Formats: sequence, structure tokens, C-alpha cells
Amino acid sequence: MSVLLQQLANGVVQGALIALIALGYTMVYGIIQLINFAHGEVFMVSSYGGLATFTLLPDDLKKSPAVALPLMFVGGIVIAVIVAVIMERFAYRPLRNAPRLAPLITALGVSVFLQEAVRVWYPNAKSNLPYPKVFPEGSLTLGTINVPWTGVLLVVLSVGLSVILQTYVNKSRMGRAMRATAQDPDTAKLMGVNPDRVIVLTFVFGAVLAGVAGIMFGGYLNNINIDMGFQNGIFAFTAAVLGGVGSIRGAVIGAFIIGLIKTLAGQYMPGGTQYDYVWIFVVLILVLVFRPQGLFGEPERVRA
Amino acid sequence: MSTSTVSTPAAAPPVEQRSALAPLGKPFAAVGGVLGIVAALLPWVTFGLKDGNWPDKSTLQFFDAPFAVTGFRWHVLLLGVLILVAAFAPVPSKGRVVRALGWGLAVVSFINGAYITVKGGGLGAITALDGDVAFGSIVGLVGGVLAILAGYGIGIELPGQWKVKLSTPVAYLVLLVSFAAVLYAVAAMLTTGGVGTSNPYAGAIFLSFLGFAGGVLAALSGVGFIRWLSVLSEEHRVFSVIVLAACALLLPFTEAGNEYWMTVAANIGIYAATAIGLNIVVGLAGLLDLGYVAFMGIGALVAANFSGAATAHFGITLPFPVAAVIAGVVAGIFGAIVGSPTLRVRGDYLAIVTLAFGEIFTRSAQNDIGGITNGSNAIPGIPPLSLFGAEFNKSFSIGAVKLPAGVLYYILIVLLVAATMAVFANLKFSRIGRAWIAIREDEDAARAMGIQTGKKKILAFLIGATLAGLAGAVFAHKNGTVSYESFKFMESVTLLAAVILGGMGSIPGAVLGAALLFVLPEKLREFEEYRLMIFGLALIVIMRFRPQGLIPDRHRRAELADEDVGGVPVDEVHEVPKEAKA
Repeated sequence: MSVLLQQLANGVVQGALIALIALGYTMVYGIIQLINFAHGEVFMVSSYGGLATFTLLPDDLKKSPAVALPLMFVGGIVIAVIVAVIMERFAYRPLRNAPRLAPLITALGVSVFLQEAVRVWYPNAKSNLPYPKVFPEGSLTLGTINVPWTGVLLVVLSVGLSVILQTYVNKSRMGRAMRATAQDPDTAKLMGVNPDRVIVLTFVFGAVLAGVAGIMFGGYLNNINIDMGFQNGIFAFTAAVLGGVGSIRGAVIGAFIIGLIKTLAGQYMPGGTQYDYVWIFVVLILVLVFRPQGLFGEPERVRA
Repeated sequence: MSTSTVSTPAAAPPVEQRSALAPLGKPFAAVGGVLGIVAALLPWVTFGLKDGNWPDKSTLQFFDAPFAVTGFRWHVLLLGVLILVAAFAPVPSKGRVVRALGWGLAVVSFINGAYITVKGGGLGAITALDGDVAFGSIVGLVGGVLAILAGYGIGIELPGQWKVKLSTPVAYLVLLVSFAAVLYAVAAMLTTGGVGTSNPYAGAIFLSFLGFAGGVLAALSGVGFIRWLSVLSEEHRVFSVIVLAACALLLPFTEAGNEYWMTVAANIGIYAATAIGLNIVVGLAGLLDLGYVAFMGIGALVAANFSGAATAHFGITLPFPVAAVIAGVVAGIFGAIVGSPTLRVRGDYLAIVTLAFGEIFTRSAQNDIGGITNGSNAIPGIPPLSLFGAEFNKSFSIGAVKLPAGVLYYILIVLLVAATMAVFANLKFSRIGRAWIAIREDEDAARAMGIQTGKKKILAFLIGATLAGLAGAVFAHKNGTVSYESFKFMESVTLLAAVILGGMGSIPGAVLGAALLFVLPEKLREFEEYRLMIFGLALIVIMRFRPQGLIPDRHRRAELADEDVGGVPVDEVHEVPKEAKA
């Protein structure tokens, strides 16, 4: 029983991480119907950006987490945003009216490029890099369950940010413009919405959330590597699809479900953790086949 | 995918560019051509490089050996002369030809110049140092840029159209000579810069050669020769196929006929066959498959387990043809299973399903599922194929002619590629092929026309997977080891890139794409570190500037934007975005 509870807690933390990334996928897909494969790499880049920020800090600042940690968040998020904006401007925007396969293949290219760029140019990026210990240490103990404070922070951040995002999209003027563009870009344009701005902003929001996720990933697991973007990106995409692409609430709930599947399948299914990955994909395929619109998505639209 | 017809007027002149550059067209071309010739004769390097002289070390060579021009300098000279000829002879689509040659000249000069600069530690290497002067690369680059500008000045028109009709024997002769030239070009492409690491300059020399070949080919295409040749070869299809096959089989007798290049060529062939299979799924039926290499992996694993290798799981050893058939069938069954979600899932979502399948395959193989993949230890020691006692990986002689080792694999794989091509071509022009193309263009309309879209889509997956399975079986025996490492996501992306780079739905495109993507790493070992990064960048750039690929399929050529006619960038001739709302 205690094992089950512990795995449930681990699953929630995993889910919180995946949710932060999944929001970026779901928002971009909702607006320009692009599976932004490179979003996972934005997450990875932000993690390295945070690490680089820490490395560049003077020694006395490194010792005070209260200063170093916020600066790392700023550094990681700024890098993620820059990468996302450049990517949107130079890779995706020229292809906005191209056949549908073209931007998807471009996204693959961007993903490969970012991963390799970090591998080649970041010092020692070929092996796992340890993350600085500026995060709250120790863990929260509830009965038999043990959750590191970083995990708790991750869950709080993830839920908090997604509530803020949801409120923003539903209540603010810009949020209304986003929803309008997602429904019908041409009509939105006629109503005075600048689609370019909306799309860039969507990428920026996604990058900020991925940036937070990147830093927290390092804090929670204590080391990072260049494969983290691809793997977690796929999980996040699965979560977005599971929840219904385009739906913010769906992405978050989908992410928690994926996190739970991962930890529970690793514990209880045959094959153990070696196959947890496989179960996630099995779920993905089943969802796509039997409920393509996802749990909270609108009914399937006919797409070319 | 619905497409608006390309409405560019046939010979729209690039108005703004013409007004500025038009009077300068011919003079620029003349100067550019002369500069190219001069550059070829000028010295290029002011010192000896530490790995030995830059090919044909050319310091002040103009004075002691003005006509001893070889290697890239010979290319530069040729390009210069061709630019002059194109500028003043009555050539169809003059501007396009001059521009293409200019690009060739500029690229060759730039690559060599940049390489010398980097290796020589500074601009002194290509300008003046210690009393030696060497302005070759700079002069060549300027000449190339001038010729490019001249091309725009003269005006970029549609490629020329040749209406010449030939009598059959003459047509045969032309085809024979052309294909022989192709054979020579392929051999030269493989061997420029030497074998692997034996020549420290191999990468740069090879890139320079690609620049030259690309420029000349683009010029030929501008003149209209390539279009004409392809029409001609289609008229005499049987003859062309025989000659092309003969050329492929003659490759071992050229410069490339040694063990190293036979192995490389055989590997390219395996991937080319797989790419053609993928082309059925992606190019014809329009179903994006991101886990395709898994089918090749399944084929390889099946063949490996029946091969009698020490770690094979099944206790039986089957002769290769039987094992290959089983491999194809098993891969095909998996293909149909993976394809079955197509009944309900479309577009991007389908791509994700295939990706998920690919990942499941990799994970399962890595963890030695059912004990048949041997996990990360791989299945080593798969015996090489043999026929009548001749082992395929040993050298082999016919009478007095001794052929290099690996030549039998090469021949087997040429046959495999030829067979895949035949399957592809026959399917493409059959009822099924037309149904696939209809599905690709508009699935709902296709269904309304009475096509059973579900069956046809699964069939596409099944056939594609079977071809990949067969290629995988050959792969297993040729490499002797089967490991899940060879069938990861990156390989799927590379195959997809080969198909897209070559041109979706086109057969020569798939072969060319596979050849480029799998030769480049062999040639660019010194850039190994940056290989994948360049690869990612290339995907982005191709999608941006030439989404139809290097050798576009005829149908798609009509559907996607035509070449950048009259200065209209490809992306401006766009599709009507289809947003069917529920």
C-alpha cells in the first residue's frame, strides 16, 4: 500500500513536469495546427541555459540560493524564449501556407539542430551534467510518502501557472484574440487581430512554461542530458493529445494521467521500468484510435 | 490537400531586377567568365599545407606550368569557359544557365578558398604572404558572383524546351552516352578525395566537386537538356532501364571498384531500397511515417534469427531466400497492423502513431523482448551469403578479371534496388497508385469517387513495410550484426529526409536522396561532429526553398510550386489553406 501511495506521489510530480511542457504543445497546435516537435528541445535548451547562468555567476552569489535560483530561472526562460521566437520567425512563419507535411518536417529539422547544437557547443554536454544544488533540500513526509521539496515546488508551479494561463486565455483581451485566431485566423484578422503577434505570443508563453520546467527538471533529478528534450517532449505531446489538443485543462489533466501511467506501469506491469515508455505509447495509440479528439477536445474536425 | 493551380505567367520577367541589371547582363557574364579562367590559372595558395601540398599546389604555377591545370582548378577553368560560351552563344534560357554556372564557380571558389584560409591560419593564405601572391580563390569568387548577377540581368526564363525528334538508333546512342556519363559522374563522386581518411583534404575536395557537378547539372537543366533526356528515356523505357542497370553493374570496373567503395555503395543501395519503400507510403499515399525504419529492423531481426548465428533464437537455419521472404512477410504484417489506425486517424496524428510504434519497437528490441533481439548485445556473427560456394564478402574473379571483395553484395543490392524500383513504378502507374495519389490529394473526394480508402491506405503500409523487411534481411547478412541501435528514430528521420530531399513520389529522387545522405557522412568524416547539425539545418532550408525536392515527381511538380519562375519565390505560389470546419 505504501508503495502504491509513493508511486502515486511520484506520478503526480512527473505529471506536473510533463504538464508544463504539454501546455506549449497544446497552445501552438491549437492556433496553427503545428506539432512543434522542437518544443521538447526548447525545454532542454532552457535547462542548459539555467545551468550556464549559474556557471557564469560570481562565486559568492553561487553560495546564496535565494539569489542564484531566481537568476537561473530568468536565464533559462530568456534563452528558451529567444530560441522559440527565432524558431517561429525563421523556420515556421515562412511555411504558414505550405502543404501540411512541410512544417512538420521543418520541426523535426529544428529539433535535430537544437539538440546537436547543444551537444557540440555546450562544454561537456556529451555526458550527464550535474545540476547546482541551489534548490530547497530535504523532503516532505506525509505518513509513509516522501516527496522532495523540489517535487512539491514543481507541482505548485505547474498547477499555479496553468491556472494563471487558463484565466489569461479566458479573460484577457489578448486571450480572446488567441481563441479567435485558433477558431478562424482569417475572420480574426478581419476583426483587427494581428495573427503574427498572437502566434509569437503563443510561442513565448509555451517557451516560458518550458523554461520553468527545464530548471525544475534539473532541480528534481539533479542532472540533465541532451536526450531529455526528446523524451519528455514525446510524453508531453502524448499528454496534450490525451487531453485533447488545444485544451489547456485537457493538457494538464492528460499530463497527470501520463505521469501516473509511467510510474504505476513501471511498478506493476510486466517488464517493469524498462517498459514504462512502451505503455505510454500504447495508451497514446489507443486514445488516438478510439477517441481522437482526446478527453476534453472538441469533436474531430475534418483535416487535410 | 487541395492545390490552387500555379498561375504564374509563363515568362514573367523579374521586373525590378531587370531594370537595374539588364544592361549589365552580358558584360557581367563576360567579365565573370574571364575571371573564372584567370582564376584557374592564378596561384591559389601561398604556402605548403602541413598535410602536404593542397592538391596541385599552385604557387606561381601560372609561370612555370600554365597549362597544367587539374583538380578543382580544371573545374574552375571549365566553368569560366562555359560561362563565356553561354553568354555569347544562342543558348535557350540564357539567364538561368549563366546563373547556374555562376553559382558553381562561386561555390567551388568559396569552398576551396575557405578551406585554405582555415587550414592556412588566416587570409594571408589566399592573398599575399612572404612575397608569394595567390588571389585565385578571390578572383574566382568575384567572377562567380558577377555571373550570378549577370544571370539575373539577362533574365531568368523557363527552362528551354527541346522539340528535336531522333530516329531510334540515334536516340539509343544519345541515351548510351548520357548514362555512361552518369556512371562516370557517380564513380567520380565516390572516389574524389580518395578513400575515407587516406586523404586529409577529402571532405573539402568532395564538397568542391559537388559544387561543380551541381552547377553544371543545373545549367544542363536550364538549357532543357535534362527534361529532353528524361522524355527521351521514357520513350525508350526498356532500353534505358537495361542501359541503366548495365551501368550500375559496371561500377565495380571503374575507379570505384575496390572493397571500400563497394561496401559503401552496397550500404547506400540498402537504404535507397528502403527509401523507395518509404516513398510509397509518404510520396504516393501521403501518409507520413516516422517509424519506418522499424520495419527494416523487423526484417533484419527475422533474417538474423534464421541465419544460424550463434545467438539466434530459433534453432533452425533457413536458406537466405526463404528467410528473406519470411522477413518481408513478417514486416508486412506489422506494417498492416501499424497502418490499421489510418482507418480512424489522419494527418499529423497518424505521424504520431507511427512514431509511437517506432519507439515501441526500439524499446522492446533494446530490452530483448521474447529473447529474440539479444538486447544491447546485438546478434553478431551472422554468416555472409554465399552462392555456389562463392562467399559474398570475398573477392571474386571471372576468368582473368579479379573483382574486389564485396562486389557480389553490390550486385545483389543493385538487383534489389532495381526490383524495388520496378515494384514502385508499376504500382505508381496502376489503379492502386492512382488511388493512392487521389487519397493523398483529397481523401474525402477520393472516397466519394468510390475508392476504398481504408483498404488502400493499409495496403500502402503493407507494401512499404514488406520492401523494408526485404532490405532489412539483406542488411543483416551484409553487416553480419543486427542491433537495435541501427533502427532508431534518427534513422527514420534520415530516410524520410532522403525521400523529401530527392523529391516525394519520384524514383530517381529517392535514390539520389539516399545516395547523398549516406555518402556525405563517409566523405565528411572531418566534419563528423557537425554532421547531424548540418543535417537538421538542411531539412529546414530544403522545406523553405525547395519543398518539392531535387528531382520532383512530374505530378507533384504540377501540384507544388514550379521552380522559381521569373523570380517568384516558391512560397509565394502557395496553397489555399484548407480549413474545413465542422
